[in-house]
Amino acid sequence: MTGTVTRRDLLRLMGVGAGAFGIGGLVACAPSADNDDDDSGGTSETGDAAQDFSFASWSLADDASKAEIQKLMDAFASANDVSVSGVPYAYNDYLNQLTLQVQGGQFTGAAQLDIAWLAALSALGKLRDLGSVAEGVDYTESGLLSGQVDGVQYGLPWTTAAIGLIANREHLDQVGVTEPPATLADFEAVLTELKGAGFIPYAASTKVAQLKDILIWMETFGSPLIDGDQVTIGDDASIEAVTWYKKLYDQGLIAPDVERLDARNLFSQGRAAMYDDAIVGKAFVVGESPDPELLSKLTALPRPVLAAGDTPRAVQWGHAIVVVDGEGADTAAEFAKFVTSDEELVLGYFEALGLPPTTDTALASDTVQNDPFTAEFGERITATATPNPFWRFPQYAQMETAVAEQVQAVLTGASSPADAMRAAGEAVQGLV
Amino acid sequence: MAVTHSTSNRTAGEPRRLGDGAFALVLTLPGFALLAAVVLYPLIAALVTAFFEQSLVLPGREFVGFDNLRDVFQDDFWQLLRQTLVFTAGSTILPFVIGFGLALALNTGIRGQRVFRGLLLVPWLVPGVVVSFLWMWIFNANYGVLNGVLENIGLLDSPQAWLADPGQASAAVIIAKTWQSFPWIMVMLLAALQTVPVELHEAAEVDGAGAVRRFFAITVPHLKGIIGIVLLLELIWNFQHFDIIYVMTGGGPAGSTQTFATAVYETAFKGFDLGHAGAIGLLWMLILMVFVVVYVRYSERGEEK
Repeated sequence: MTGTVTRRDLLRLMGVGAGAFGIGGLVACAPSADNDDDDSGGTSETGDAAQDFSFASWSLADDASKAEIQKLMDAFASANDVSVSGVPYAYNDYLNQLTLQVQGGQFTGAAQLDIAWLAALSALGKLRDLGSVAEGVDYTESGLLSGQVDGVQYGLPWTTAAIGLIANREHLDQVGVTEPPATLADFEAVLTELKGAGFIPYAASTKVAQLKDILIWMETFGSPLIDGDQVTIGDDASIEAVTWYKKLYDQGLIAPDVERLDARNLFSQGRAAMYDDAIVGKAFVVGESPDPELLSKLTALPRPVLAAGDTPRAVQWGHAIVVVDGEGADTAAEFAKFVTSDEELVLGYFEALGLPPTTDTALASDTVQNDPFTAEFGERITATATPNPFWRFPQYAQMETAVAEQVQAVLTGASSPADAMRAAGEAVQGLV
Repeated sequence: MAVTHSTSNRTAGEPRRLGDGAFALVLTLPGFALLAAVVLYPLIAALVTAFFEQSLVLPGREFVGFDNLRDVFQDDFWQLLRQTLVFTAGSTILPFVIGFGLALALNTGIRGQRVFRGLLLVPWLVPGVVVSFLWMWIFNANYGVLNGVLENIGLLDSPQAWLADPGQASAAVIIAKTWQSFPWIMVMLLAALQTVPVELHEAAEVDGAGAVRRFFAITVPHLKGIIGIVLLLELIWNFQHFDIIYVMTGGGPAGSTQTFATAVYETAFKGFDLGHAGAIGLLWMLILMVFVVVYVRYSERGEEK
């Protein structure tokens, strides 16, 4: 076939091409399906049909817990004849990934959230107020509070407890420790004994990813961290705390290159005698340990205090489920309620992963009441736990990173505690 | 379909035909449009961000002129430049030396050359993230292979925290990158080595030239072009390398392995500060342009010869 391509022909073709491109572009730029009209998709409760939705969760990216989460999703999906798509992100990247997805409009549905991140995510303005969904459920008051920002119930509480010291009782017995060390001096003495016995005494966080743990030690040394809107990091107490941490590091009482997962591994292998974790750590270390008796050896230690008689410090910890407005949000809200309050479900979840439920009924059940580790953890750690004062700021994640980087600079010898804490304080103040 | 495109002798009413240049231009337009959409627009948009105060998560932005650039210079530019250059130089020179050495060895016609060549290519085929995790495990302070081996043979008394020490962490990421890069260099140089005329070596040998003399007088001049290209490409790639550094150290400890690439990511996607990230990116690109210009001019000179 022979043909002639003229300028007119080409212009015509280009016109068609440009038209197609333009339409494609307009389609791409058009509002996505998660518009307001779709929000009306509801559940059986509202009489509307349930809709498919996504559920973002770091527990889905964790071998120890993903099967249990999948069970919850499957239970809801089959009961409501919907599809629940899991969106797993590793914990350390979770907030960033979720923030980007929500901000970009790529994610709607339910999401697991660390209560520390609630202010950050709610600042995007896309979380649904779940106050009406929480009505009629016997959530504990502290649980409900952990899901609120400025009085708005953005999250339904899924589990609440604290982060504290988890130890191997057998290792402590081996060095003659029968009672938890009360003061920092006692604590150091125990760590020294444990080192002498060949253990990594305390697998404390020394990597940036989890060096936020230093904040509770700063509070233990007496720093309030923030007074009103004035950041106090850089005060004498925070400098003393970091100086002490550096001393433990230099003396080999805490190990280098450790974050939470490393600590859990070292503890489960019996190489570390204690480490910081939430109660959820129990499921991981027991599940991964070659020691079949590890569960019976677990013990929770109150954090040692600066002076005898001080109240041990612990930071609150918990998960909530939030709902990002958009397609399937109504059904996602029902999912959040179902997962956090269905008694059979939450007790099964507790038995599998050791995460305390957040309803009065479930907490009063024999299953929870008769679990010795949970009882000990609650009594020794959760009882005196307080929220981190930086949680109220949307920039909390950046704040803790700013502090963590400066603490790491101290540990590596790149900076002095005083200089580093002054820099950390200024950085955090800049984020307030 | 045969296509004619002439502009001469057009009669009244006959459609005007395109010249060759215009026709070629029109054919490349879709490609340019795609390039503009997926490369130029994001690039320009990112660079323009350098002049605004803009958050990744909060709405709105404010023009701040050169403030972001000034802040970058005041904060961490020189440290980032130094660390990026150290990584780039280390990750270029070390794999080049290893790759060249292996190429020379494989070019001697040793038995099993093809098998060795295949095996040595494996690191290059492994994804960067896998390489990173592999080396993280090797260098891990508490259960790493390296510490285990060194302790067992008595070279270490206690575990060494390789990735927790600024100097050692820098060396560790360079070693990991070297392991990933040397096969490509080896293959390129081996291919070039096989084009060196054997007669030249034989004649030089007859004239009394030893192996070292022949290497510098015949082999190296013959490979000069490919060596230049390989080195320049490695410099460019390493200057913008991201995955191994980010996965192995996250730029730490204490920012000691942070490069422009990881700093832009950290600033934009963890600090949510798009303006500052854009400023780092702008400066990074300007420096990278120097390498690119050298590369292009070097390539052109090779073509002219």
